[in-house]
Amino acid sequence: MAGERSYAVEQVAAPESIDSLHDLLARVARENPEVPRDDLSMMETAVIEIAGNLVEHGRPPGEVTYRFDLTLHADRLEGVLADSGEELPGGLTDLVEVDVMSESGRGLFLADAVLDTLVYRRTDAANIWSMTRRYR
Amino acid sequence: MEMTTEELAPGVAVLRCTGRLNMVAAKQFRSHIDETVRGGHRKVAVDLGGVSFIDSSGLGALVGGLKSARQAGGDLRIAAAGDQVRSVLELTNLARVLRPHDSVESATDGW
Repeated sequence: MAGERSYAVEQVAAPESIDSLHDLLARVARENPEVPRDDLSMMETAVIEIAGNLVEHGRPPGEVTYRFDLTLHADRLEGVLADSGEELPGGLTDLVEVDVMSESGRGLFLADAVLDTLVYRRTDAANIWSMTRRYR
Repeated sequence: MEMTTEELAPGVAVLRCTGRLNMVAAKQFRSHIDETVRGGHRKVAVDLGGVSFIDSSGLGALVGGLKSARQAGGDLRIAAAGDQVRSVLELTNLARVLRPHDSVESATDGW
């Protein structure tokens, strides 16, 4: 791949923003046919979970905004989602697998499972979710 | 997401879905399964051939539908899942209870 390419979208954490993320990833796939589809699909899975979590649980409700940046490297995809919501209580320490018959609670577990690394950190005003998926 | 239901045999229905099964569509999808089960189709095959993407909300709706069908004395099976759907089923260990069948025909075998 010749050089890095970057994409970004910035929006309010509302249900419609999920479609915008899908659209962005579809555009990345169209414009970069050399990027392995499965890896892009797993990055899509991760960011949709993290954004979906914000849409459902972000505080204050209806006021959280986020920006998603995706960078295409020669050997990996790097995504960074930065949101304006309140700090995630307990951080990412409790990524336990829920009971197989549970109907909820597997979002962040799934995001972590489809990535090589998922790192959460809190800055003064934002939550930063850094995601890496190496090409298989 | 678009959904249609077809009766394959008395008590057996196939639910065909097209689009993304994400948090936007999950509630409607779950209601559709529940209505199908309440309507007397206790055995439901979900044809995921047209589903390009599923998230944890969609997985939760499938588990909920499986519970509804089993509580009614039936079952729910999934068919024709694509690569992304199969990957997340495996990674969440849900493939143990929602084993992906290659086709609706194989999913409904024995029904």
